[in-house]
Amino acid sequence: MASVTIRNVEKSFGAMKVIHGVDIDVQDHEFVVLVGPSGCGKSTLLRMIAGLETISGGEIVIGDKVVNDVPPRDRDIAMVFQNYALYPHMSIFDNMGFSLKLRKRPKAEIEAKVKDAADILNLTSYLDRSPAQLSGGQRQRVAMGRALVRDAQVFLFDEPLSNLDAKLRVVMRTEIKALHQRLKTTSVYVTHDQIEAMTMADRIVVMNAGRVEQVGAPLELYDSPANLFVAGFLGSPSMNFIEGRYLRDGDTAQVICANGTALPAPVVSSAWNEKQVVLGVRPEHMHLADGGEGAAATVDVVEPTGANIEVLADLAGERVCAVFSERHPFRPGEKIELGWDLNKVHLFDPDSGNRI
Amino acid sequence: MSSKLKKSLIYWAILSPLMVVILFPFAVMFVTAVRPRDELFVFPPRWGFSEFRWGNFAEMWVKTNFGEALFNSLYVSVLSTALALALSIPAAYALSRYRFRGKGAYRTFLLMTQMMSPIVLVLGLFRLMVALGMVNNLNSLVLTYAAFNMAFTIWMLQSYFSTIPRDLEEAAWIDGASHFTSLTRIFLPLAVPAMAVTGIFSFINGWNEFVLALTMIRSSDDFTLPVQIYSQVAGRFQVEWHHVMAGTVLATVPVAIVFSWLQKYLIRGMALGAVK
Ligand SMILES: Nc1ncnc2c1ncn2[C@@H]1O[C@H](COP(=O)(O)OP(=O)(O)O)[C@@H](O)[C@H]1O
Ligand SMILES: [Mg+2]
Repeated sequence: MASVTIRNVEKSFGAMKVIHGVDIDVQDHEFVVLVGPSGCGKSTLLRMIAGLETISGGEIVIGDKVVNDVPPRDRDIAMVFQNYALYPHMSIFDNMGFSLKLRKRPKAEIEAKVKDAADILNLTSYLDRSPAQLSGGQRQRVAMGRALVRDAQVFLFDEPLSNLDAKLRVVMRTEIKALHQRLKTTSVYVTHDQIEAMTMADRIVVMNAGRVEQVGAPLELYDSPANLFVAGFLGSPSMNFIEGRYLRDGDTAQVICANGTALPAPVVSSAWNEKQVVLGVRPEHMHLADGGEGAAATVDVVEPTGANIEVLADLAGERVCAVFSERHPFRPGEKIELGWDLNKVHLFDPDSGNRI
Repeated sequence: MSSKLKKSLIYWAILSPLMVVILFPFAVMFVTAVRPRDELFVFPPRWGFSEFRWGNFAEMWVKTNFGEALFNSLYVSVLSTALALALSIPAAYALSRYRFRGKGAYRTFLLMTQMMSPIVLVLGLFRLMVALGMVNNLNSLVLTYAAFNMAFTIWMLQSYFSTIPRDLEEAAWIDGASHFTSLTRIFLPLAVPAMAVTGIFSFINGWNEFVLALTMIRSSDDFTLPVQIYSQVAGRFQVEWHHVMAGTVLATVPVAIVFSWLQKYLIRGMALGAVK
């Protein structure tokens, strides 16, 4: 197994630059998730690690070897593709054993390794079938199995669960994580789904428009996002943002919205006094307040999810979302007062987007 | 009556005029081929005949030197098909997998060659073959047929190749395959249906071609079937129509049957190729 180091890597397709100098360090045994909206360059970056795309600038190092000019077959990596890429004309056994066959391993060894992988993935009774005869979830397992038999240095995953239905996705998510805990193979996993990223990753790399926005452990990113993008991308329902003028008065501070509503805000440097800021509050950090310590809001829509109720409300002219675990009997149009824990909310600079 | 049966009966009824039109020449060909010589020109024409003479075929075979012409036709059709495929497969692969300068222009060029009738080029081709010293040589037909078919075969193969996911080859490279191995073990096996379809198209073109064969080939030893049969009709005082028709039956029917049977498998193969 090996580490993967990405140093100032760039990628252009013709005149269009899609990756603008990315640095990522993946430690040995680590499970790193690249997450970001569709089209931000995650797949391109992963394919550069795999050797399927040329590298326009910078360096990629696997183990202690610069692999920029090493063809995919000599990089000793395994990859699981989004649509599985199973060889349609081969049986499941041959699909899984193909790499070993190419390496001219003895027949007995191939058989043993494929059987082992099939055991782990519950595929033993399907080895003679062809890919067309399997369900989506089973094909996904075969794609995993093909990577497993290899003992590769690094596993690469490109949105491997996005073609599965919601329930199966949750199951496979857990299985992949369990598998990693057992094998400890260095893994780079690409997804656009922030829940997958949060649940599976040792470390998350949040990408946007070909750049890395922030790198860190899931809860670290969740609790202290570096900027508006990361704050809004991680978490569901996503963080509420309310823009206004910052007013500090000794030990207390407020954000004054466009319509004059004053919202409680955390205390930051008085350099921000009288400046525009964005107040960020996660829905689950909202609570019902009384006695005027919070801000008045009007309930628009109530969405019970079972575990919680999500309340969409109008606060100072903005649509905000609040999540309550108590079962408040709210009705649309009802006036409520919303407050928040000042230790858990953030202020952002609206120009740079960075957290203050 | 089940609605499915009703439906297929209606379809057959609608299609039957078309079938009559298609089968009529075959029927005339066949009854003419098996009747005795003196019943060829009865008036009014009849479908029936006094005697069923398979012997016509044997007589014709010897008299028209059918065997040799059959061999020539096979030689030309098979080799031109093989040559066209051998050159089209790499070209189509490059078109579907790589970006290169002039790709659009090359595609347009391929299309444009299809807009020109081969007849327009016959004279030029003949002079070319004279210059190459290949007149009266079957290989001149192999070359020209292959060249004429290639625009179509490249186009056809390329559009099918583009439906084979690139991922499959990429997965093979990551599994440790070289470019060559991924081509032979993954790509080409999946491309077999397309190669079969284009191969058949090219074969039939070569099999039926007449004008070029008539132009390039001088000696009757090297005639292909269409020219050989034509030579039984043209420039003769007496045309042995029953022999001509027997020859035509032998030249067309077996090929038609084999390929209409193959077609079933080809369509199935096409559908299988789409497996995700
Ligand atoms: N082969 C290619 N040629 C041109 N542009 C490409 C190619 N592959 C990807 N792109 C572009 O690069 C950007 C990033 O794509 P991709 O890495 O697939 O995004 P993601 O996987 O994050 O959704 C997109 O804007 C996409 O249009
Ligand atoms: Mg992608």
